[in-house]
Amino acid sequence: MDKMFAVLKREYLAGVRKKMFIVMTLVFPLFLGGVFFIPMMIMSKGLGEKAIAVVDGTGSLRATYTKSDDLTKIGGESGPVSMQIEYADAKGQANLDAFAKPYLDRLVDTSSHNAHKLDAVLVVPATALDSSDAKLKFYSRSAADIITQERLASITNRGIHAHRLELRGFKDEEATQLLASAKVQGMQLSKTGEEKKGGTGNFIAGLLLCGLFMFPSFIYGLEIMRGIIQEKNDRVVEVLVSSMTPKQLLTGKILGTALIGLTQVTVWLLMASLGAGYFAAGMAAGGENILRFLHPMMFFYFVLFFLLAYMTYVCIYAIAGSACNSDKEAQQLIGPITMVMMLPWFLVAVLITNPDSSLAVGFSLAPVFGPMTMFLRTLVADPPLWHLVVSVIVSILTITVFFRVTAKIFRVGILSYGKRPTIPELWRWLKLA
Amino acid sequence: MEILAVRDVVKVFGDVRAVDGVSFTVRSGTITGLLGRNGAGKTTTIRMITGIFYPDSGAIDWGGARSGDFRDRIGYLPEERGLYKQMNVVELLLFLAEIKGRKGPDVRKSIDRWLERFELGEKRAAKVEELSKGNQQKVQLIGTLLHDPELIILDEPQSGLDPVNMVLVRNLLRDLKNEGRTILLSTHMMGEAEKMADDIVLIHRGKVVLDGTLEQVRGSFGKNTLHIDFEGDGEFLAELPDVKRAAIVGNSAEIALTEGADPQRILEATIGRLRIRRFELAAPSLEEIFIEKVGQESLQEVA
Repeated sequence: MDKMFAVLKREYLAGVRKKMFIVMTLVFPLFLGGVFFIPMMIMSKGLGEKAIAVVDGTGSLRATYTKSDDLTKIGGESGPVSMQIEYADAKGQANLDAFAKPYLDRLVDTSSHNAHKLDAVLVVPATALDSSDAKLKFYSRSAADIITQERLASITNRGIHAHRLELRGFKDEEATQLLASAKVQGMQLSKTGEEKKGGTGNFIAGLLLCGLFMFPSFIYGLEIMRGIIQEKNDRVVEVLVSSMTPKQLLTGKILGTALIGLTQVTVWLLMASLGAGYFAAGMAAGGENILRFLHPMMFFYFVLFFLLAYMTYVCIYAIAGSACNSDKEAQQLIGPITMVMMLPWFLVAVLITNPDSSLAVGFSLAPVFGPMTMFLRTLVADPPLWHLVVSVIVSILTITVFFRVTAKIFRVGILSYGKRPTIPELWRWLKLA
Repeated sequence: MEILAVRDVVKVFGDVRAVDGVSFTVRSGTITGLLGRNGAGKTTTIRMITGIFYPDSGAIDWGGARSGDFRDRIGYLPEERGLYKQMNVVELLLFLAEIKGRKGPDVRKSIDRWLERFELGEKRAAKVEELSKGNQQKVQLIGTLLHDPELIILDEPQSGLDPVNMVLVRNLLRDLKNEGRTILLSTHMMGEAEKMADDIVLIHRGKVVLDGTLEQVRGSFGKNTLHIDFEGDGEFLAELPDVKRAAIVGNSAEIALTEGADPQRILEATIGRLRIRRFELAAPSLEEIFIEKVGQESLQEVA
């Protein structure tokens, strides 16, 4: 026990003193945060102001584009961009394209002496009010400016609808009432009848947490693999295995590495809680309760399934490390295996949107895939207790079996400095040790 | 008193019987030389003693009834040496002591003493990778001795050492023996073994071909070997009648005579051709015994 602890302590201290640990701990959440939050921030805070010209062939929609609140809000949600609209009445123009030409020139001309630059031009044909075939034309320099396009189309259509109603004798307020649209709010109903706000927030939280879930396992898995190979190459290992049993050595190494991962995740969770606290305060000020989509049990599940996943992956990497003599060999061996292990990550979008499908249930109860899939399910759904229990038991059994296999291969493989063993040879080692 | 008894141990790797029924004992307070060519089975035998391999059959018996991990009774310097390169010297030594079940202020004091003894006091805070190769070996040697092992096992301790460090190791072994420690020294350098060992175990192809005290071993080969030191070209000595085998290196020759040969005839033959500095009839050297035992066997097997 003391020897195991000595190894654990050494592994841990050597691990947390590495530059990579510090960089990973501090930079990785910022990176992940950047990947997820910067687009969100941009989506909500806006890309700045867009100058848009509307060439209106009907001549009846001026009011639609000059009511300022419509331009910043659609259906009550604030949009990503604010629009500065220049309205051009083109009623009775025979050739609408010719009339629009100067505006399109201004759109194309990006030189600095153009004082009246445009980001987009919308051409509304004269038939827009009567015909259902009429097509609005949206010109922009970027084909992908769909946010502006959708917003503008939505505003224009509201205007067209309002105008049609007006033509049929409805008053302005009546038309507004008729056109008022209902919003959709995603809700998750748990078995206890508790309502949680779901939808996009959960999806993004799911992805984010899965990232935090997977990457330490793979990175520290690789670390332990390299560590074992390094010890073999440095020839330290003979001193170690002559001082303790391979099982003590391996236990110390794996637990030490697990502790490094746990330290890192703890730091990340603390950082996340700070971030979430900040976020929650903002939400609370806006009348929202963040606990409706981040429930405290999630942290418990996160730590539980993280540890299970971590131990499983680390054992697999330790096997590769014991069996191989160089990083390159080990990478070749572990590459395809990693792909298989990462299956839930590739399927995360499917799993998260269908958490109770037979695929998700099967994955969550299977070895290796279980911890991550199960965690995803607890995040977005409310899996039955027996699923949770079975998943945890399967994972613990998997880890136990993997650990024994690792210890055996470790025992034989650790002192063999030759070629990488073939699968039949590995099998022989298993029986040998 | 026997500290360790290896009894008929066998270890098979695939088709190779690496160790094939080896038995020997190690007496307390002595240096036992485990001799043999590279690949003879020395390291595999040692790995079974240190618990790295389990023997397929046979037993390793430790003298005296003492509880605890038998591994803690051994200080082992493997042939393939290596240390954690990123650790500093003191941290590393503390770790090496801890995995042998020793920690606390005594260990720290002991580390200081050893570092002084090896003139490494100034390097205590240095990272291992910053040390010269010789100093790294010294650090590993300290790690081997730090926990006061009952049995010190050194596998080819002098391989890769320069002459100065070789003498240093030789003196250290002598000092350790004088302190009453027991050493199992595995080597293929017969000359070194002859200078230091009390007991000899000669292994060849996984089997013990010869064992006993150095005197017994040498005595059993009789005093029919000539040791001659000379000036001049001594190559002709090998061609003389009654010479079974001659090892001529520079200005000295070790000549194995045929049964019943008269050494005086050899001396007569040298007159006028060599200036003799030493002419001694004695027991053969270990090197000679080794070739006698193993070389002939190998030749027979080839034929």
